Amino acid sequence: MSSGSSLLPIIAILPFLGALVPGLMIRAGRTACATFTAAPTILALVMLGVLAPDVMRGEVIEARIEWLPQLGLSASFFLDGLGLLFAGMILGMGLLITLYARFYLSGEDPMGQFYTYLLLFQGAMLGIVISDNILLLLIFWELTSLTSFLLIGYWKHLPEGRQGARMALAVTGGGGLAMIGGMLILGNIAGSYDLTDILTQGDAIRASEWYLPALILILIGAFTKSAQFPFHFWLPHAMAAPTPVSAYLHSATMVKAGVFLLARMWPVLSGTEAWFYIVSTTGLITMVLGALIAIFKDDLKALLAFSTVSHLGLLTMLLGLGTKFAAVVAVFHIINHLTFKAALFMSAGIVDHEAHTRDIKRLGGLARLMPVTAAIAIVTALSMAGIPLFNGFLSKEMMLDAASETVWAGSHLVVPVLATLGALLSVAYSFRFISHVFLGPVRDDYPSKPHDPPFGMWAAPGFLAVFVLLIGILPATIVGPLVAVAGGAVVGGELPYYSLKIWHGVNAALVMSMIAVAGGLVVLLLHRPLDRLWQAAPRPEAKVIFDALIDASAALSGWVTRNLHNGSISRYLAIFVVATVALGFAAWNGGALAPATRPMLPIPAVVAVGWVLLVVATVLVVTMHRRRFQALVLIGVIGLMVSVGFVYLSAPDLALTQISVETVTIMLLLLALHFLPKHTPLESPLWRRTRDGVIAVGAGVAVTGLAMAFLTRDFSTISDYHLANSYTGGGGTNVVNVILVDFRGYDTYGEIIVLGIAGLTIYALMVSLLTGPAARRLRNTDYSQDRSRDRHPLMMVVATRAMMPIAVVVGIYIFLRGHNQPGGGFIAGLVISIALLMQYMASGFAWTQARQRIQYHAMIGWGVVVAGLTGAGAWLAGKPFLTSAYGYIDLPGIEEFGLGSAFLFDLGVFLTVLGAVMLMLYSLSRIARYAGETVNVEPMDYDPSKRVEAIRNGGE
Amino acid sequence: MDILAELVIALFLVVSGIFGLVGSFGMIKLRETMQRLHAPTKATTLGVGGVLIASMLYFVVVKGSFSFHELLITLFLFLTAPITANFIAKTFLQAHARESDLPSTERSHGWALFDDAPSEKPDA
Repeated sequence: MSSGSSLLPIIAILPFLGALVPGLMIRAGRTACATFTAAPTILALVMLGVLAPDVMRGEVIEARIEWLPQLGLSASFFLDGLGLLFAGMILGMGLLITLYARFYLSGEDPMGQFYTYLLLFQGAMLGIVISDNILLLLIFWELTSLTSFLLIGYWKHLPEGRQGARMALAVTGGGGLAMIGGMLILGNIAGSYDLTDILTQGDAIRASEWYLPALILILIGAFTKSAQFPFHFWLPHAMAAPTPVSAYLHSATMVKAGVFLLARMWPVLSGTEAWFYIVSTTGLITMVLGALIAIFKDDLKALLAFSTVSHLGLLTMLLGLGTKFAAVVAVFHIINHLTFKAALFMSAGIVDHEAHTRDIKRLGGLARLMPVTAAIAIVTALSMAGIPLFNGFLSKEMMLDAASETVWAGSHLVVPVLATLGALLSVAYSFRFISHVFLGPVRDDYPSKPHDPPFGMWAAPGFLAVFVLLIGILPATIVGPLVAVAGGAVVGGELPYYSLKIWHGVNAALVMSMIAVAGGLVVLLLHRPLDRLWQAAPRPEAKVIFDALIDASAALSGWVTRNLHNGSISRYLAIFVVATVALGFAAWNGGALAPATRPMLPIPAVVAVGWVLLVVATVLVVTMHRRRFQALVLIGVIGLMVSVGFVYLSAPDLALTQISVETVTIMLLLLALHFLPKHTPLESPLWRRTRDGVIAVGAGVAVTGLAMAFLTRDFSTISDYHLANSYTGGGGTNVVNVILVDFRGYDTYGEIIVLGIAGLTIYALMVSLLTGPAARRLRNTDYSQDRSRDRHPLMMVVATRAMMPIAVVVGIYIFLRGHNQPGGGFIAGLVISIALLMQYMASGFAWTQARQRIQYHAMIGWGVVVAGLTGAGAWLAGKPFLTSAYGYIDLPGIEEFGLGSAFLFDLGVFLTVLGAVMLMLYSLSRIARYAGETVNVEPMDYDPSKRVEAIRNGGE
Repeated sequence: MDILAELVIALFLVVSGIFGLVGSFGMIKLRETMQRLHAPTKATTLGVGGVLIASMLYFVVVKGSFSFHELLITLFLFLTAPITANFIAKTFLQAHARESDLPSTERSHGWALFDDAPSEKPDA
């Protein structure tokens, strides 16, 4: 670790932290907002500048923070020449784009949002280029897909923007998915997910049998990102974004991510036939195709978009050639492409901004109207064409040089000819850009009278144009060292011989270049007839195909979902039960069952009676379930018998829970049944009932067999551990409660959350029920026949009032002693809810509700929060989540009770249970009132004491 | 153990058993719901009461300690049994009886089931 290494993570995190600022600073005005957006970028750039000298000397700066070491994921960063080049480009361009966007965006665009997205994207890109861990790289990779989605779709009101953003996300996200697979394979081969390790294992990786799958998957990721054929179609559609976004994404960052990855992986993956043929061929096709389409595009930005596709193809081809010279040329061209393409995009944006159109056919003669913009655009377009004295010329010469020596499938001609063709076409569209937009006569039918924009707007492209010239004239002085160190990082060893200068003498490349320029001029002169031919020719429309594909896959997944998930809960249950029984049967068949070690116990008479009751009640439920009230009574019987069973088997906690759950359930079900039909109609045919019967019997037999198998054998369970550690580890003698709040506290925490969600879901269902067709049925049903005049009888009201304090005391008692004796938060919650339920039943919900001030929603929330905070409190003591601490409290008057973190946790459980039950009751009450139930003013229908009082007041 | 105490406890248990049996038999024997209501609420309550007295005696005389549980159970039994019966009767009337079937209350107000409660103002 060198001294500067600690700066790397800070550089990586800065844009993300900075992304919080623009949203706030926009209140201070647009200029302030832009300034504060620039601040983190400048800061990061300065830090990069601090690190740069070391990197230029050939050092590699590394920083490592463990994140999830078990997965091999660490937040480790490293900065070598390639990383420095890209980081510099991303940050520098980010700065220029910030400036440009300040003037480009109109007053109606939410600028704070734009800058936030921009910084997020910048952070993601920066992360890619300085990640050392490939898993971390994948995270940043996906982040670029997501943030570019936000940026491309920034103009949400434009359908093109939304569609373009979706398309970009689908294509690059899909590619990212493939890349995850490729990277994992790569990491597996190398035995490490650290790039620095992987880069040293090139030979092992190339020799591995998994090399080809990994290569293809990674290439899919890189090609989708870099818009290589056949994935190139998303890039032109992404042009619906504001121009600053296009300039940033498509010159320096997003699309270069794929190229960066190819360059990064170059030492590891290149040098094989597969690499050469896949990568260079794709690059060549993309280069020629992109340039060809670009010539016939009338939209300025579309022309530039396809020229970007073409140049990315060029870069891909160079990296695909596999020679060190070509790789260094690629690095050089990355710099050149950035300078001229970003400036061109910005100029196109200026033209659009001033003339209110980007249609080349409506433009022309702008050189006289906006000389500064024209100068910038012409300089950079000449560079794009590859004219001497501009930087594009240098890298194009070197590219042609590299191409001229390449043999493709035994042919010496294919690559040089195609490369020359690509160069020729690129000359053609560059010249078209210059002559059809800026040259020619001044027209009088521009949608808006164009003139040069303010300085702030042309400063950024002007700055880049100066660079284009400087690099073009003095390449070795300006970028020589950077190309050397970045190229060295790509090729991973000795640099090949190359020279950055304008005149190399008359060689093959120069001849090819001259052919390209002459041919390009011819194409430009013939543009009109060629354009007519092109427009008439049938072409596949990528967007139509893409939309058809997306629709088809949406239809397919819809079909699968509808068939698997059709809303019939009996179907899910049937599938689940049959699958479980089948699996259990397979396990029983497969494994040998040890012989039974425990003898059968005698059956006492009392137990036999209970068993008969249980069985009879169960059978009756099955036969009588169509009569709902009777079935409910029988379910109550079953519940009571189960509780008795728990008591008999010495499980008082479970018995208490069972009884209280049973009571609450039956009460709520009774209330709900009021609004439902009293009978279940016979709906399913006989064969289905038979089928269901067979499934049920099969499952029952299987469960019985399983229970018997366990009960008749000795086996060691976790119970022994719980019994041994309950008091020493959890501070409680009630093992059940200690398990709930301590050993399995996480489970309980999850369960109370689920319970809370269930309560809220019932509430939500009730709300939607009261707005749907069911609400109309409810309103139209006449319940008056069932309704007594005597809804709140005196006797019931008085008795429940008297019971209330007793029940509450019982609840508190059960709650307090829970840790050591049967009880606990769950049971206490149920007991208190029963106490309250009684009040609600006696005097009506609305009357009772008006007398308490606690929101049940909030109670659920507080319960979860209290339990969660209790668990988190363990962190303060440096222990894991939910570790309990405990002590004992001896208040005078009542027996000693344990007070620990478990106690607070139990309080959370208590609150959630109470809140959920009461919310369910509240939901039912809402339905009742909707169905026409009136709200009573008095607690009971007839209050004799009032009558006595009235008689006394009124006199005899 | 005191033979007398044992006898008394046994007597209570036997008597309560008889009451319980009668109550359960009444459920089958009696025809109308309103008649049947008497069996569990009266006979069976008495039966349970007998068991409770036996239990208290057992704890006082034999174990030498006083047990509160039975008192509480008695309290709850006396509270719940009448209210339950009252509710069952009300529900039955609501579902099966018309106002005209019921005898007159011979007051200014009809049955609570069908008539609103009297207002707070004294009768005219």
